[in-house]
Parts: sequence; C-alpha cells; structure tokens
Amino acid sequence: MTRESARFVFKGSFRTKSFVEFARHRAERLGLDVQFGQAGVAVVAMDVSGAVELVDAFEMACSLGPLDCFVLDVVRHGGVATAGV
Amino acid sequence: MRVQDCWHPVALSHSIEAGSSAGTRLLDRELVVWRDNSGVAHVWEDRCPHRGMKLSFGFVRGDHIACLYHGWQYNSGGHCQYIPAHPALEVPKTIKVQVYPAHERSGMIWTTLPENPAAVPEDDEPVVPLRSLYLGCGFDAAIEALSACRLVPFASDAPAETTVSRVTDTLFAVSCAQDRLLVGVQAISTTRTACHLSLCGPAQRYLGAGQIHFNDWALQLRRAAEQAPAAQAAPDRDVA
Repeated sequence: MTRESARFVFKGSFRTKSFVEFARHRAERLGLDVQFGQAGVAVVAMDVSGAVELVDAFEMACSLGPLDCFVLDVVRHGGVATAGV
Repeated sequence: MRVQDCWHPVALSHSIEAGSSAGTRLLDRELVVWRDNSGVAHVWEDRCPHRGMKLSFGFVRGDHIACLYHGWQYNSGGHCQYIPAHPALEVPKTIKVQVYPAHERSGMIWTTLPENPAAVPEDDEPVVPLRSLYLGCGFDAAIEALSACRLVPFASDAPAETTVSRVTDTLFAVSCAQDRLLVGVQAISTTRTACHLSLCGPAQRYLGAGQIHFNDWALQLRRAAEQAPAAQAAPDRDVA
C-alpha cells in the first residue's frame, strides 16, 4: 500500500465549523490522519496523510462539501508518497 | 419500557432466503435484512458508507454483501473488505456499516437498536410462517386492533373464545381453541406498522388451507386497524 502526505487548500464560501467537522468525519471514515491549518470563511487548509487512494477519495468528498458550504477550488500540494508495509 | 429499547421483528424468516436481501424501516431508520449463503441473518443500516446507496439493492456473495453502486464488499461484521476500483488497497477498518444484533425466534428475524440490548425473547416452539402484513396506522393503533380481534378456529365449527396475550413488548399471541397465532409488531414509523404472523404448530396442520384461513383473518385485522380512530392520531411510541 502506497501512502501519501498532502496539503489541501480548499477555497470558496464556508461555514468554517461545518466544513471542518465534515472534513474531520470523512478523514476518520477513510482512516486518514488530518491536521487542520488555516480555517476561515474563504479558505480552509489541512494536511492529510494515508493510503494514496483514500487521500484521493478525501479530496473528492471534500470538494463536494457539506450542504452549507460551497467549494470553488481545491489546491493540492505535496503528495509525498512512501511505500507502506 | 420504551419501544426503542425492545427487540423488534423486521421480517419473517422464510421471506429472506439465503443469498438475498430486503430493505425495511424500523422507527424511521432504514435497515437492510440479509441472509448469507450459510443461512445466517443480518440486520444493518441500509446505507453504503461510500455514496449512501441502499445496501438492500446490493448482492450477497458468501458471507459478504456488496453495494450495487461501486461493488464495495462488506463482511458479516460490517467492515469493508474490498473495493473493486482499488483492488490492492488495504481497506481501513473505519469504513464500516452500522450493524445491529440479529436473532431468529418464532419464525421471525429480530433486531434491537440500543448498544446494550435486553435479552432476546425466548420462544423455540415450531411455527409455520403465515405472512407479513403492512398497516397504514401507528404502533398503538395496531395493538389496539389486535387486542380487540376475534379469531375463528381452523378446522372447527365450534365457537371458541379468543385470547390475546402480550408475550414481549412487540410480540403477541392470539389463541383460539387449539390454534395459536404469533404476531410480531414492527413500528415502521408513526403512521406505518408491520405485523409478522406465524402459526404455532406442525406444518402438516396448517400448510395450505390453514394459511389461507388465517390470511383472511389477517386482512380483517388490517381493515380494523386502519379504520380505527386511533389510526388517524400520531401515536406515542412509549409503551407502558
């Protein structure tokens, strides 16, 4: 299994608490580690690591977001892949 | 005791064949009742954690059920084991369907929603499945109609008294002469109730004509429940 660490910057219009809870729930469901950085009404950033396929799934899930948030753009940095055990 | 804390019948055992699944509702929660190929019944939340598709539309393979949408496969513990789009992925244990306890008693599949449920109702007498009946009324209205019902004995013209007794909070026994009918009452929602009916006794006594006889009674029960004034009111889910 290949692991990846990536930084995501979601841009749009957010109810910050709602979006952060949504992202935290999805990360937990997908077995990913997540550390939140900047979290505002226009930008939410986070570092995510785990299986590369599930990091992709996380990006897809958060690009849809909760009903009360509107994601306009997703910027993905890093993508440091390491071979897992 | 509140209805939410009880064991609830969610299907007749014979309605869920090995390798098949069916959707149902209990207290407004959507559930899938499925039976694996070894014959073990399962009751789960009817929702794939991936995209929310109903698992009752899925397919059973061995002791797994798979979502129809993207084929995610779940083992009997509810854990996702295999994602076809990522065959090499070691799926994290966090991808899991909500699983509820399931037991079979009195010819019915039972489940309960709390994490620490009460003991399973004991009843191991042989039964003949009759049918599941869906009523356009709430739980209390269904019980009220059931309590007032009268049964005509099978294969006997002699009049006999009908006795309705409550075996558990959601299981009733309707007796008349030598006949004993078990009625499991499923609270689907505030306005919908299901009754799962089994006949106590050997199959040779009731199969065929006996089932037809009591099916007619079941239809009368439905009519009575839906016409009762209580059927129009939103019932209180608490049971004294």
